[in-house]
Order: sequence, then C-alpha cells, then structure tokens
Amino acid sequence: MTSLERARSWRPGPRLVSLVVGGGTAVLVLYPIAYLIQASLSVGDPQARPPEAYGLDNFTGLDRYAHIFGNTLLVAGVATIVAVVVGFVMGWILTRTNVPGRAALEQLMAMPYYVTPLMGALAWALIGSAGSGFVNQLWRAVGGSGHLIDINTAWGIAWVMALFEGSVAFVMIGAVMKSMDPSLEEASQVLGAGRVRTMLRITLPLVLPGVLGAAVFVFAEMLGSFSAALVLGLPSRFYVVTTAMYQLVSQYPPRFPTAAAMGVSLFAVMFAMVWIYRRIISSGSYVTITGKAFRPRVMDVGGLRWPLLGLCLAYLVVAVVLPVLVIVYASFQRLTGAVPSLANLTLANYAMALSLDAVRSALWNSLILGVATASLGVLLMGFLSWLIYRSRLPGAGAIEYLLMFPQAVPRLVFAFGMMWAWLVFPIPIYGTLWLLLIAYLTVFLPLGLRTISGVILQIDRSLEECAQMCGATWGHRLRTVTMPLLKPGLVAAWLLLFIASVRELGASILLMGPKSKVITPAIVESWFSTSSELTAAMALLQTLAVAAALAIMFAVARRAVQAGGE
Amino acid sequence: MTEHRHTAVTRRGFLRTSALAAATAPWLARAPFAAAQGKSTKVLDFQTGADVAKAEQEGEVVYYGHDGEAGIGVLLDAFKKDFPKIKTSYVRLQTGALYAKITAERSAGRFGVDVLQLSDISPAIDFQKKGGWEVHVSPESSAYKAEHQSSPAGHYNWGGVTFAGISYNKGKIKPEQAPKTWKDILNPIHKDGVSAKLATSGMQHAQWYTLRKLYGNDFWQEFAKQRPKGFDARAQLFDRLSKGDDRMCVLAEYAGYTLFAEKGAEIEFVAPPDGLPATAFYIGVVNKAPHPEAAKLFVDWALSKRGQAVYQNQKILLYGSLRTDAGPMPTGKRLADFKLLFPTDWNDYVASHPVFVKEWNSIMGL
Repeated sequence: MTSLERARSWRPGPRLVSLVVGGGTAVLVLYPIAYLIQASLSVGDPQARPPEAYGLDNFTGLDRYAHIFGNTLLVAGVATIVAVVVGFVMGWILTRTNVPGRAALEQLMAMPYYVTPLMGALAWALIGSAGSGFVNQLWRAVGGSGHLIDINTAWGIAWVMALFEGSVAFVMIGAVMKSMDPSLEEASQVLGAGRVRTMLRITLPLVLPGVLGAAVFVFAEMLGSFSAALVLGLPSRFYVVTTAMYQLVSQYPPRFPTAAAMGVSLFAVMFAMVWIYRRIISSGSYVTITGKAFRPRVMDVGGLRWPLLGLCLAYLVVAVVLPVLVIVYASFQRLTGAVPSLANLTLANYAMALSLDAVRSALWNSLILGVATASLGVLLMGFLSWLIYRSRLPGAGAIEYLLMFPQAVPRLVFAFGMMWAWLVFPIPIYGTLWLLLIAYLTVFLPLGLRTISGVILQIDRSLEECAQMCGATWGHRLRTVTMPLLKPGLVAAWLLLFIASVRELGASILLMGPKSKVITPAIVESWFSTSSELTAAMALLQTLAVAAALAIMFAVARRAVQAGGE
Repeated sequence: MTEHRHTAVTRRGFLRTSALAAATAPWLARAPFAAAQGKSTKVLDFQTGADVAKAEQEGEVVYYGHDGEAGIGVLLDAFKKDFPKIKTSYVRLQTGALYAKITAERSAGRFGVDVLQLSDISPAIDFQKKGGWEVHVSPESSAYKAEHQSSPAGHYNWGGVTFAGISYNKGKIKPEQAPKTWKDILNPIHKDGVSAKLATSGMQHAQWYTLRKLYGNDFWQEFAKQRPKGFDARAQLFDRLSKGDDRMCVLAEYAGYTLFAEKGAEIEFVAPPDGLPATAFYIGVVNKAPHPEAAKLFVDWALSKRGQAVYQNQKILLYGSLRTDAGPMPTGKRLADFKLLFPTDWNDYVASHPVFVKEWNSIMGL
C-alpha cells in the first residue's frame, strides 16, 4: 500500500475521536470551573479580577450559612424522593401495564416539564399561599379559620419542585423500562410472584441504573433549583443555597467569592452521589437487551388498571391542569382574587406582554437555542455516554465525574465562571447566542448523559462485539447497532434538552447580551418588577410557543419517517 | 427628529449660570456649565452636546439599566420615536449584578456599553473612581442643582427621584391601628405581617440610613423583631400587600403605590411627618463607549424635559424630576409637596453601605 493509499484509507480511530471529543468537553467544563475555583479562593477585594490575594477564608466562613445548607439538603432530599417515586410509579404504570389510554397519557406525562417550575411555583403561590391562596380563601369563605394549606414552607417548596421534576424522572426511568425484555417479568409471574412483588423484585432491580441515574440527576437539579425556592421561599424568609447566592451576587458590592465558595462546596455532595451511583452499577449487571429478540409487551393488571389510571390523572391534574388553569385565570385579571368579577377582567397583560421586546425577540431566540442545544447535545452526549460505558478507553470513567461538575454547582454561579472565562477568550462570542449555546451544552451535559447512559447500560456488549466480528468498523457499529438501540434514550434526551434550554434561567441571566436575549429571565424579571398577572401572561405565552414548536417538529419528523418508509 | 440648530453659549449666559450655581450650593468649582463644553446643539426642544449627525451615523445606543423590562421598553421606545435612525438595545439586571457585569467586561477589555443607569450611588461613585464614566457635561444639566450631579460634574447625573413611605392593606389593618409615623412600624401587632426590600436595593439603603440618623442605631434592631419579609422589587411588595399576604409595607415607594391603587387595590399610603426617605437613579455616558455621540445624545435627551416627561409621567417608571423647571407628577403632586429625606453626608452614606448590607441581611434572615 502506497502512502497515498494509506492516507486515503485512513479513518479516525475511536481513540483519536474519543480524545478529541472527551478533551474538548473537558475544556468546556473545566475552563469556567477554574475561574470559579479561583474566585472562591479570592480573599481581597471581592470585585477584583484576577484576585488580589488567595486564601480559604470564604470556605471557613461558610459555617454562618449552615442553616441555608440544611434547608437546601432538606428540600432537595424530600423533593428527590417524591419525584423519583412519582417517576418510577408513573413509568411502571405507563410502560409495563395495560392501563387504558397509555399512549396519550405517556405524552401528557411530560407536560409538567413544559409547564416549568417557575410557572408551577407562580400558580401554586396563587393556589396555596396562607393569606391570599385560593384554597385558603375558599376555606375561610365556608367558615374555616386561619389557613388550610401553606405553600410557603419547606414542604411546599419540595412539593412544587417534585411535581415538576417528577416528569424528568418519569422520562428517564420510562426510557429504561421501555427497553426491558418483558420475559423476565413474565418468568417471575409464571413462578408465582404477584404483580407488586414482580415490580419490586424484578422490574426495580433491572431498571436500577435508570432509577439511580434519575435520582442523582434530580437531586442535583433540586440542589440547583432556583425558581420555586425564589417564588415560594422568600415570603417565609426561607433561603436555600441558590436564593442565598442570588442575593449575595446581586448586592453591592457583589460577594462572588462567598457565592463561589458555596457553589464549590456543593461539588463534594455531587461527587459523593456519582461515586455511590458508580459503585452500585458496577456491582451488578443490568443488561436487558441482548441478542435474543423480544417484543415489548405489557402486563395485564386486571381491575387494578382503573385505580392506576386514576393515579396518573391525579398527577396530571395537580401538576398540569390546576396550575395552567390558575395561570390562565390570573393572566386575564387586573388583581387576582379567588372570586372572579367582570370589572377585574382585562386583556392588558397580553397587550403589554406582546409589546415587550423580551417576549418577541427573546422567545424566538429561546426556540432557536432549544433546537440547536437539543440536536447538538444528543450527538455529543450520546457519544460521551458510549465513551464512558462502552469504549474501554483509559480514563473514560473519570470523564463521568468531570461531566457532573456543571450539575454540582447552581447555574447562576456557574454562569459567573463562564462569564469570566469567555470574556477573556480571544474569539469574540461573548454577548452572542453562541455563548448561550456553549453554556447550555455545558450545563446540560449531566442531563443528556444521565438520560442516555441509563439506556446504554441495558444494551449487551455482545451485540456490538458481534458486529465487530462481522467486520464492522467502530463507527459503523456505533451507527448501525448502538444508535438504533439507543433510540428511546436519544429521543427522551432530545426532548428534555429542548425544554430545559427554553426554560433555562440561571446561566442565561448573566450571559445574555443586548442582542441575545432569552425568555425565562424576562419572565422572572417581570415577576420582580411588574405584577404576577403580567408574569402569568408571559409564562403562558412561553408555554404555548414551546408546545407549538414541539407539535410542528413532531409533525415534520412523522412526515419524514413516513416518507422514508415509502 | 426634524430640527438641528447650533447655539453658541454666550459669555452672559455663562456668567448667569455661574452666579446661579454659586447661590444654590457650595459646589461652585464643580458646577456644570454647558458653556465649558463649547458648542451645544438644539435638537427638537432640548440642548445636546452630541454631534447629532454623527450619533445618527453611529445608528445605535446600548443601554445597561436596572428598571424593569416594561419600564426600559417605554423609555427606549420614546427615545427611538424622537430619533428613529438610532436603534436601541439593552441589558437589564439589578444594580449589583449589573455593575458586576460591566466591571467584569471592562476588566477583560470589552467595551460594549454606551449608557449606564444605576439605582445606587455607591457603585456610581466606585465607577467614577475607576474612570468608568466619560466626562460629558450635558447642556441640560444647567436645569439641575449642582448637588444633583457627580462631583466633579460630568461623570453622572441624578436622573430622577423615587421615595418611600408606609403603605398598608385597608382590609387587614383597622383605621385605629393604621401607622402614622415611622415608629408605628415597630408596633408588635404587625409582627409577621410586614414587608420591606432586600439589601440589593439602593432605596432600602437610603431608608436604613436616614431613619437610623433620625431614630438612632437601635431602630432597625427593634424592627427586626417584626420578622419582616424581604423582596427584590416594589412590584412584589405591592402585589403581596394588595392581595393581603402582608399587612403593611414599610418601604412603600410612591410609584408602586400609585400603580396598584389605580388597579383598585385596597391600600393606603402614609407619609410620616418626619419625612420620606428618597434616592435617585444615576445616569451617564460610559467611557470608551462604542457609540459615543449616540450615548451623549441619549443622556442629554434623558435629562431634558422630553426625557424627564417619560421618566416622570409613565406610571411604570414614575421618577420625580429634579429639574428646577419640572412640572407636576401624574398624580398632580410635585416633588416639593413631599418632605424628602436625602443623606446629607455622601461620604458617610457610601461608607455605611457594608454595615447596612450586613445588618439588613441579618434582619431578613439571610
């Protein structure tokens, strides 16, 4: 073979591609983290960049915020348990049982994620505030005293966070359950185990990577959750790490070093979670997709299917129907009260919302960024999942820890690291949509990774090895074997990434430029500076735009698949 | 924009302005004189030190501000209406975060901002120390007292004033329990029903400072016993007050009160006889601005009667104008109708900021 022929036949090997993609991603994550760690060690003028002096004072001084860390762990822990239980139960009902209307319910189950925690928190504040909450007003109207519920408590915040993150857990766990060979459950039942026993002893252990992945992700998401804690916590003087950080960096002079130290401290919590996750999945086999063919089938649960249907509908009512109705109602009010009156009705909130640049251009920017982040993200994160769990390359495991960094620190603080990092970067992307795209791809790495890796762990390596024995190159194997099997996980990841990008708040607040505005910060800002009625109108417009965009994309995709089939 | 007319400032005008400034404040050496800047141009009905043709050629002004989206939108739309050849864009953040953003950008050598507006004088003075403001003595600044400008003049101007009293929900507080003086906010019957702003607010700093001067250092420690709830913006305070979630708001900005009272909220505004803490917003041209002439034009417009009419008459903004020739606010009242409490020693005021932040964070449970 001549050197020319050798050059023509050269294909990048898995090691080289892995090195480039893994290395590139590492830079994407570590570059801003380095600035964040630098800030956390700054003990001079808090505004000085680079720091005037270094020390550990910011970490040693964190003990005065111990109650805030306690609040955060309490809310995140309770919300994670509720969200994962909801996600698992809903996932099991809709993928493993013959509950009526499964297909439609499955689509609806992702709705709370579209609704967003911000809109959910605003709605639940109107429903359950001790003073003006609709439920409590009605309670007093029928002779009750005081209040029936109070959403402005730790439990209330956890409830709202769990409702809206429960659907993330559902999407993640549901994708894993769909890929499970039903013969294992059938074997259990043939051997005399009941439905519940089969669910707990067979289904749950087999989907453990997905459940744990969802738990790790959701817990981290809860640690960094901002909107619900902001809307529902401030009225009761209840701060969590993110709302405390927001106050620290919004004050003059901004206390970045303290906020950065708080954020960096959360790395320890996150790494402990990833370590536990890896320990558990490395101690057993969770393969359910092997070379043996299977057809996804569901269990006949008999009369139990009606109560299970009721459970699904109840979840949809409290997580979607009720909040959306309340927000629609509030958006047409001058001053929202529990008792409707004609004099209070107005269209002014929509007129104002549609006149704002923040709604017109920012909504469009958000949708563009959502599609770009989801499409590029699925490719990047799918490859990284394969790299970590399949490539057997040295150091692949370390990449997983690396990729969890952005999840470990609240996005608001991570955004400061990104701002400092990309401000001095020689390519002028600061203040453009490109920076937001990079930011979203970086902060959503854990989301994509967790969603896809839950499925990848279920695929037997022998399928790829078989293709290798037949002479397929690694790229061909990836394209024709691994990717098609990963399809449920990839679709779920695309959907989650799209929605997560459109509703992103923490990183966007600081990284938006005058010509690269996105919608969610404008909605929060409206809540600060105008009224909950205008905010309701803006949140509803955002939700409608996202729903319309998704409907169009699904229709186009369906048509493309049909055309391909013909 | 239809009319451009160059007006040379006369020696007599210069002397007259000087005499006026000397009479009103001991800031003579720092007083603003449009004449000192040479030519000014009459455009529409105001004077500008900008080259209007160049400003229109630059075609854009980038504004960083602290007001809400709706407020900034109203302001920039009004400017665009007067100067349709100049596009506007903006970034909106709370003053602390906004200032952090602009200083980080500048320390990295990125200069993308033309006009900066802050709600707190401390960062405005800090920005001046860092050489962040472009020295531009607006011809319109002759309509302002010297004490309402930076020292020396030309760095930034006081663009308008907001002030706060007490407001309460009429359905939640009986007339006999209604507050009348500042000391009434300490009444234990209001415990757990009181709201104020967080330490992010320049207005809150002004109130903390001025009432501390009036009633002593223990006043706010007594107030802490009420377990007040803190929020970022006046709209949140009045939203909650109107709905009855809070009984009383102790940092009730007049602008917020009028907006919600107009919606039909059952709330009352109280102006305690000792006075109403007040603060301004501070606006100026940023050094190394990418569109320097457009920036000067914008600031001159903002300080002119035209711009001040937007700040003062648009209810989403409702900043009282400090122009000596300003008309009444939409409520029919003028700033002079209120007894406003401004800090008298600005150095002491700025120096007190860290003490305020620490004490206020503690009061708010942070």
